[in-house]
Amino acid sequence: MTSTYERTSQFLEGVRREQRQIITPEGVPVTVELADYGERLIALTIDLFFWLLLTLAIFIPIVLAIGTRGGLIAISIALFIGFLVRNLYFVYFELAWRGSTPGKRLVGLRVVDRSGGPLLPSAVVARNLTREIEMFIPLGVLLTWGSAADGSVDWENLAIAVWLLFFTALPFINRDRMRGGDLIAGTMVIALPKRVLLSDLVERTVKFSFTEQQLRAYGAFELQVLEELLRHPDTPDSVLVLNEVCNKIRHKIGWAAPIASADVVPFLREFYTAERAFLEREQLYGKARPDKHAPPTRTA
Amino acid sequence: MTMDVSAPDPAASTPGGTGKPELVLKSSEFRKGREGGWRELEGLVDRVERRGMHALSLDELQRLPILYRAALSSLSVARTIALDRNLLLYLESLALRAFLAVYGPRLSPREGLRAFFGRELPAAVRSARWHILIAALCLLVGTALGFVLAVQDEAWFSSLVPSGLAGGRGPSSTRDDLYRDEIFAPWPGPVESFGIFANVLFSHNTLVGIMTFGLGMAAGVPTVLLAAYQGLPLGAFLALHYHRGLTVDFLGWLAIHGTTELGALIMFAAGGLVIAEKLLFPGRHSRLENLAIHGRLAAQMAVGAVLMLFVAAILEGGFRQLVQSTPLRFAIGLTVGALWLAYFCFCGRRKSR
Repeated sequence: MTSTYERTSQFLEGVRREQRQIITPEGVPVTVELADYGERLIALTIDLFFWLLLTLAIFIPIVLAIGTRGGLIAISIALFIGFLVRNLYFVYFELAWRGSTPGKRLVGLRVVDRSGGPLLPSAVVARNLTREIEMFIPLGVLLTWGSAADGSVDWENLAIAVWLLFFTALPFINRDRMRGGDLIAGTMVIALPKRVLLSDLVERTVKFSFTEQQLRAYGAFELQVLEELLRHPDTPDSVLVLNEVCNKIRHKIGWAAPIASADVVPFLREFYTAERAFLEREQLYGKARPDKHAPPTRTA
Repeated sequence: MTMDVSAPDPAASTPGGTGKPELVLKSSEFRKGREGGWRELEGLVDRVERRGMHALSLDELQRLPILYRAALSSLSVARTIALDRNLLLYLESLALRAFLAVYGPRLSPREGLRAFFGRELPAAVRSARWHILIAALCLLVGTALGFVLAVQDEAWFSSLVPSGLAGGRGPSSTRDDLYRDEIFAPWPGPVESFGIFANVLFSHNTLVGIMTFGLGMAAGVPTVLLAAYQGLPLGAFLALHYHRGLTVDFLGWLAIHGTTELGALIMFAAGGLVIAEKLLFPGRHSRLENLAIHGRLAAQMAVGAVLMLFVAAILEGGFRQLVQSTPLRFAIGLTVGALWLAYFCFCGRRKSR
C-alpha cells in the first residue's frame, strides 16, 4: 500500500524521498519523510542570516555605547555576542516552536524524537550545543586554514581541521542523515509538507460502463497515476496528455466506440471511478493488485 | 459481488445493460462520514503550529486528542480500503502533524530552563560521579607530571607550556617579575578586563572544553589525553613559582577562578567519558540507541560546564586583579567552589524521584 503511492510519487515527480516510520504511542505507524540535505542547508542558511542580524542588532548599540577605542575589543565582543546569540537562538526556537526554528519553519522541517516520544528540552539543548563542534569550530579553524602567525603552514591546526571535518561530514555517512548532535540527542530532522485534501474524483452518475474483464487491465499504480493526471489543472498541455491517455486506455481495454473530445474527461473520470471501485473491492478480499504487470489474481 | 448501495441515485440508469448497480465506493462513503472531523483537526493543528498550544480554547484542547485518535484510526482504515492517493497522503500528513502537536514538547522555554537548572543538570552531574572522578584524576596526573618534570629541570617549562599561554613567563622570569606583572599586576580597567580578557578566556576555554567533550565520541581516548594535557602547563607553572618561593601566592591567584574553571574542564571531560562509555559498552541496547538515551545526560553536563566557564571568565578576567590579596582570593575561590559543590550535590534532590 504505502509502496504504491511512493512509487507513484517517484514516477510523477522523479524523486524518491527517504521514508521512515515512527510508531505512535497508540501503536499506529506513521510515515515520516527525512529532510533532504538541500532543505537542511537552506534552513540553516536562513537561520544563520537571522543570527547575523540579531548579533548585529545587539552588537552595534553596545559598541556605540562603549565607543570604538580599539578594533580588538570590538571583535572580541562581537565574537562573544555571536556565540551567545546563536546558542540561545536555536535552543529557544526549537523549544518554543516545537522543534523548528524560523529557517526550518520556512522550509517545512521539524526536529522529532527518533523513537516517537516527546521532544525533551535536554534533547534540544544537546543537539544544539554540539553544533559548535560540528560547524562553528571547524569553520573557525578552516578560516585560519593552517596559516600560522609567521606565514608558514601550521600543521597542528590543519590536522585539527581535518579531524573536525569528520564530524561535519557525519550526516553524509549515516542512513538517517543525522548530525552528531542528532546522534547524541536521539533526534532526527524530517520534512513536514502540508497536504491539502482535494475533492473526491468519484463520479456518481454513470454514462459509460465497463466490464470486469476491462477493469482487470490495470492495477493500483496506474490508477493513482490517472488520479494525478485528472487532478492536474487544465492547460493545453494537459488536454493533450489526457487525450493520449484516453486513447491508450481504449486500446488496452478494447473500447471500440469512438469518444468525442468533449467526452474525454468524463470518460476518464468514470473509468477511474469504476477501476477504483473494482480494485478497492478486490483489495478488501485480499487480492490487491499493485500494477498491471502483476499476475491476474482470479479469472472470472 | 454486489456493492453497498447506501445512497440510491435518482439518475440510476445503467446504460450498457451489464446489470451493475450504481457505483458507490466504500472509500468514498468512508471519507464522507469522517471528513468533518479531519477538517476540524486540521484547523486546530494549523493554529497550534502557528501560535502554539495557547491558541486553543479549553474545549478545543479537549477535542484535540479525540480528533487525533480518530484521524489515526481513519488512517489505519484508509490504508486497507482506499486507493485514493490524495486521501492517503493527506491522512498520513494530518496524522503526523497532529501527532507532533499532541506529543510535542510540553514545557515553555522558561519552564524548560527551570527544570533544566533546578533538576536535570544537578541530577546528571550526580549520576556521572565516577566519570567526574576519573576526569579529575586525569587532570591531577597531568598536573603532577608537569610539576615533577619542570621542578627537576626548568627547561621543560617551554615544552610543556605553549608560548601563547606562557605570555613571556618562563625560566628566565625572576621572582620580582612574576610578583609584579602576574600575581599582583594592576587592574587594567573595566573594558579591557571584562571586554577582552574575560572574553578571550571564555572563548578559548569553551573551545577546549567542547573539544574534550565532543571527542568522547572517539571512544574517549582523546578526552583522557586532553584532560591530562590540560594539567601539564598547570604543573609547570606551579614548579616555576615553587622555585621562586611564590607557591602560596600563586595558588591564591589560581584559586579565585580555578575552582570554577578546573571544575568546568573536569565536567567537560566527564561528559566526554559518559559518551565514550555508552558507545563502548552499549549493554542491552544498540550503540546508537544507547547513545541517544545517555547522550542527553552528557550534553547537560557540557551545558553546565559552559555556564561554569562563563563564571570563571568573569572571575578571572574581571575580578582577579581587582582583589589584590592572597587570603581574600582563597576565600572567594573556595566559597565559589563550595557553592558549586553544594549546587551539584544537593539541588533538586527531593523533586527527582
